[in-house]
Amino acid sequence: MIIALKALRKNRFKTALIFMSMTVSISMIFLISAISGGVVSMYSSMLKTDGDIIVTQKGIADTFFSDINRSMSDVVATFTGVKESSALILGASPVDKLPIVAIYGVSDNRYDSYTLSSGVYPRSGEVILGSKIYESLKSPKSIVVSKKTFAVSGVFKSRIGFEDGGVVMGLDDAGELFHKSASIFLISLDDLGQSSAVVAKINALDGDIEAKTTDSFIDSYNQFKIIKTSSDVIGAMAFLMGILGIVSMMSMVVNERKSEFGIMRSLGLSSWSIIGKLVVETLVVALLAFAVALGVSLGVLEIIEHVDKFQGYINGEISFALVLNVFIVSLLMAVVGTLLPALYASRIDPMTLIVRGGA
Amino acid sequence: MKITANHLTHYYGDECVLNDVTLSLESGKFVAIIGESGSGKTTLLSILSTLLNPTSGEVFFDDKTVAQWGNIDEFRRKKIGFVFQFHYLISYLTLRENIALGAMEPSAIEPLMEALGIEKLSRRYSDEVSGGQRQRAAIARALVNAPGVVFADEPTGNLDTKNAIMVYELFKRFATEGTGFVVASHDKKIAEYADIIIEMEDGKIVKISRK
Repeated sequence: MIIALKALRKNRFKTALIFMSMTVSISMIFLISAISGGVVSMYSSMLKTDGDIIVTQKGIADTFFSDINRSMSDVVATFTGVKESSALILGASPVDKLPIVAIYGVSDNRYDSYTLSSGVYPRSGEVILGSKIYESLKSPKSIVVSKKTFAVSGVFKSRIGFEDGGVVMGLDDAGELFHKSASIFLISLDDLGQSSAVVAKINALDGDIEAKTTDSFIDSYNQFKIIKTSSDVIGAMAFLMGILGIVSMMSMVVNERKSEFGIMRSLGLSSWSIIGKLVVETLVVALLAFAVALGVSLGVLEIIEHVDKFQGYINGEISFALVLNVFIVSLLMAVVGTLLPALYASRIDPMTLIVRGGA
Repeated sequence: MKITANHLTHYYGDECVLNDVTLSLESGKFVAIIGESGSGKTTLLSILSTLLNPTSGEVFFDDKTVAQWGNIDEFRRKKIGFVFQFHYLISYLTLRENIALGAMEPSAIEPLMEALGIEKLSRRYSDEVSGGQRQRAAIARALVNAPGVVFADEPTGNLDTKNAIMVYELFKRFATEGTGFVVASHDKKIAEYADIIIEMEDGKIVKISRK
């Protein structure tokens, strides 16, 4: 280990380049995974709040395009095992100076899922604002949503970024804005064991609607799949870029240290011992790059969370599982990236020392 | 370690640089291979030291080929040592760390450094000591596993006369203690110290003198 540290110090410029390349790659993997995971987690949490079953228009790709008859929510509420059924309209619209804001039209029975920090729940022509958008718009008394003015009746605080940066209004007002009856129903049950029976009963109610347990909806939701796939592809590209960075820099390092490896071979050090030495050197850099990348990523996410422009919609989460995964990926990147140059180093013929010595 | 070479021939492309060389070197001797540039001395040394495979012919160490000794890395580590024209000490390691690089028994390092007069330089780096001290450290590195034979290619090529003599005297001293030395050199002074002198010309041995 001491020898590895000395070798890294001796080749400090190239070590710094390998370190920077790895830090950028690992940070990219952290950030893309954290942000995409955060988006999925925020939307999932929102749906899971008082929602064991979700009902949408059948075959719809995105809940934003769903349009179902809100009166069916009252019918569903009468089913055995259903504790409560609430209707929501999910939309997005410019609000004052902000180009796009999430708008939630909710049935009266859903208001109590929003904890007010000030004011009262909205009546017709009124809205409540998430604390983030309330701050962003500098504590407005009223706001303009799609050319229509609404009085602000209260402010709520939500840990879900999409809600905290959003506007909540009555279902009728939202229905007028977005020309639909309802986007989804969120149904809570007395007993989760009854979910299959209730889902089947709702699906039998109308051929144009589709009920799923919230967990199964989240698993099959196309938008989440797209986000996750995109994140995986970008993460894989960052991983490959990291490997290529290490391969190119380590190849230069090995070339510069040719006589060193030639001497090792002449002393009878095995190929594996030489490969091991180089892998340890890169692993040391990888550990440092991982720690710095974690710090950088946490810092960037903290900054993003407080940038008004993002309205709290980008809210990355770095979980312990993600840290562990990226740690393993970082070590793998170091080992894979070093392997090829190290193999070359391990095969350097000590004869080159004599040829260079030239008798 | 007794070294026997049978009918060694080597070509670089079409050029024959070693032509049917046969010789037998007893153990614990200081052997000098001398000759002009291009005489084939370095090629012979490279083949004898396992660094180069001959086009034809065989080398035996105590009557066994390298393959019969087993793994070549293990053979090099335990049985032979190398000293090159350039010291090739690793610049980011201290002299002691350089010597320890291939050492099987770390306790052998200090007595060896003392025997070579570099014990006070153990924490110095190669760029902090003189050329002679560097070459002594390189010799210590070659001797640390008490090999049967040390091969040296122009070991005094970069040294002044005083340091060159010091190196030859060291070789002679360790040879009397049982370690064989096979040294390729164009320095005629080596003949004063070596037990066996092999003179080469045009890829052939033209004379072998024994003291």
